[in-house]
Amino acid sequence: MSETLRLETQGITKTYGHLHALNDTSFDLRVGEVHALLGHNGAGKSTLVKILSGVVHPDSGTVRIDGEEVYPRNPRHAQDLGVALVDQELSLVSVLTVEENLRLGSRRVVSSEELRTLLDTLGLEHVKLTTLTGSLPIGEQQLVEIARALSRDAKILILDEPTATLSEPEIERVFAAVRRLAAQGKSVIYVSHRLGEVLTLCQRATVFRDGKVVGTKDVADLDRAGIVEMMLGHLPDFRTGSEKRTPENPQRISIQGLSIPPRVPAFDLEVQGGVIVALAGQVGCGASEVLRALAGLVPNARGTVNLNETKLPLGSAVKALAAGVFFAPSDRKEEGLFLSHSIVNNLVATRLPRVSRGGFIQKSRQNAVVMKLLGLTGIAPERRDLDVGVLSGGNQQKVLVARGINQPRSKMLLFDEPARGVDVGGRADIHDLIRGAAEQGNVVIFHSTDLDEVFDLADVIVTMFGGRVVSVRSRAEATPAAVLTDMTHGAEGISA
Amino acid sequence: MSVVEDVLPSRFSISGMDARRKITLLVTILFFAILIFATVTTTGFYSVQNFKAIITAAAIVGIIAVGMTYIVISGNLFSLSVGITAAVSASTFIWALRFGLVGAIIIAVVFGAVVIGLQGLLIGFTGANPIIVTIAAGALQEAVAIWITGGVSVYPPENSPSFAFLVSPLFGIPFPVYVFVVAVVLGEVFIKRSRFGRGIYLMGESPRAGRTAGLPITRLTTGAFVVAGVCAAVAGILIGAFNQSGTMTASRTLTIDAISAVLVGGTAVIGGRGSVVRTAIGAIVIATISDLLLLRGYSTPVQLLVLGVIVTVVVILSYLNSERAGRS
Repeated sequence: MSETLRLETQGITKTYGHLHALNDTSFDLRVGEVHALLGHNGAGKSTLVKILSGVVHPDSGTVRIDGEEVYPRNPRHAQDLGVALVDQELSLVSVLTVEENLRLGSRRVVSSEELRTLLDTLGLEHVKLTTLTGSLPIGEQQLVEIARALSRDAKILILDEPTATLSEPEIERVFAAVRRLAAQGKSVIYVSHRLGEVLTLCQRATVFRDGKVVGTKDVADLDRAGIVEMMLGHLPDFRTGSEKRTPENPQRISIQGLSIPPRVPAFDLEVQGGVIVALAGQVGCGASEVLRALAGLVPNARGTVNLNETKLPLGSAVKALAAGVFFAPSDRKEEGLFLSHSIVNNLVATRLPRVSRGGFIQKSRQNAVVMKLLGLTGIAPERRDLDVGVLSGGNQQKVLVARGINQPRSKMLLFDEPARGVDVGGRADIHDLIRGAAEQGNVVIFHSTDLDEVFDLADVIVTMFGGRVVSVRSRAEATPAAVLTDMTHGAEGISA
Repeated sequence: MSVVEDVLPSRFSISGMDARRKITLLVTILFFAILIFATVTTTGFYSVQNFKAIITAAAIVGIIAVGMTYIVISGNLFSLSVGITAAVSASTFIWALRFGLVGAIIIAVVFGAVVIGLQGLLIGFTGANPIIVTIAAGALQEAVAIWITGGVSVYPPENSPSFAFLVSPLFGIPFPVYVFVVAVVLGEVFIKRSRFGRGIYLMGESPRAGRTAGLPITRLTTGAFVVAGVCAAVAGILIGAFNQSGTMTASRTLTIDAISAVLVGGTAVIGGRGSVVRTAIGAIVIATISDLLLLRGYSTPVQLLVLGVIVTVVVILSYLNSERAGRS
């Protein structure tokens, strides 16, 4: 990395109505640097990314690339200027081949040999140009997406949450590719919520808060607490050990020989309420399936599950809910929430019997329940009638989690990736909601692929790999290295 | 500053609601434009007699459409056999008059509820395509009905109880209109206020999310179809009473008329949104248009043509709106 500036922005301001999305922001990016943009959802980093990639136009301020003042008019123009954006969501066409995707929408004439070399430099030596893109694992698709950005001859590569949906080995491959690109003199802007990744991968980090740059620092001078302090403006209460919860009447669950074809042969677990259990593992480790089976969503699941000595019926979500089991799926948009329904309707969707009388919804009961939950989640009561679909990701996730808590008849709460795609502050709120549920004596089991989350929330860490339990440790005796090793089961190339 | 993220999209969504309101507005403007046009040009439109004709015509279709609204909001598209069920219910009612008037009504209603409810059970339990299931069920009903009756009309038994009041005016307004009003009020209150109705709306928006939230999908789907069955049977009873006989040809366009009423009312085909009151307005709009064309001497094909054009326009408009909402 040299000290030469590749990109420099000065005094960028962008307002939406009376809201400052960006307020007099200055930022610079060096040649060969991986530079993290950090901040809450809505802190301003996405707006800066959109301005650089020509999606949004600033009200004022200047952008210089290699010393020359430029004004990205639209994404195509930004591409010509050497700026390429790899969005959080994959934009590949799955029914086209890798080569067709690489060429899609490109203005440059690139030979197949060049594309081949490009894939090789990204560690995709084994992927043929003629392979159908949809048949590749998600992580490799993400790399193809990066290859596409690079094939436009980008000098500046913007990666927006590139690892959100990837497993640890896949993340490692993206990292290796990013490091190689930086070594070749490309500049990378790396937007992420995952502080661990930033500390591992980036040289400098710029933190945004409320539309302003809080500061830019060398990552070597930063640690997790330091970054979080910059993001939040205060030091949060980081829990270092699990505190003892001693609920009065804890629930008990005993799972024996739970089999979920084809992924999970046999799963056993005994837990008492008040303890938060993490099923830690990569995508595809089987933890998701275990939670779904317990929630009655897998018809062919078999095994013995006893909730307080009562057999829990498998294969019916209706019966599971009636037995006091609540489940929050990982895909809140497709499977979790009713996006064009109000916050109110979403919050009471799992407790319609409780707010009804004689088959009719009682407004007063509904209000009481909703006000209580809004109080717990910190969502302003006057927003209760807004459609959930217009809320930020963090608030959507809060609604989804809140749907399951504070039910008098609840016994077991299951969360699949409870803070997926949520910023640090939102994550802390969601974790507090889950801790509250455990304090009430519920059995709480969650699945996460994210070590930070596992260590922040769990009292007991169960690692899973390939459908089997690898280890069970208490929070006190677990170390991130050991857990990560078990999660990846000896897979190579892990550096965390 | 999550305010930025939260406030911006909500503004988009308000424009989304505006779009939906625009449809209602459009339907209303269209309706009044036709009314004004009719005042000026069509002789005999503004007469008590004609209004009665419109509202009576709207009533039968409207009652069926109330039930259809439940199916559409539940996210199960349409039933393509409610018209046939109404016709078979009419024959059932006429035949069952031998058990007395109340008995005949109960038998016909139970018949409609069971026949259409079973289709809902099948769809809810297996996730089968509602269009295919209801087409098959329609063919089955028609075949069985013709087999039993030998293809001839069913007439009331001798010494049958009097049922003429079912289609006679009461305080100057035909009885079916009262039935229509009651069906709309009950239908609207039930779907908006009941636990079952709330479940129907949620499931219609997203069956996957509904399942995960523990909503009883099979029960809700069956329930929506049972409501449609009861409505079809009630309409069938009125049709039977009006014709004083039961015949399969009584109801050819009823299904498409009912679907048109739901769509013109602005209830979304994709489910999760809409209302029974909107459907009632749709039914009246369609009846008015048919009446106008009839008064002006246009033939049935022209009436069908106009209906087809209107429904197509509404479908395109609502598609455009959902696209726009989806993109934002």
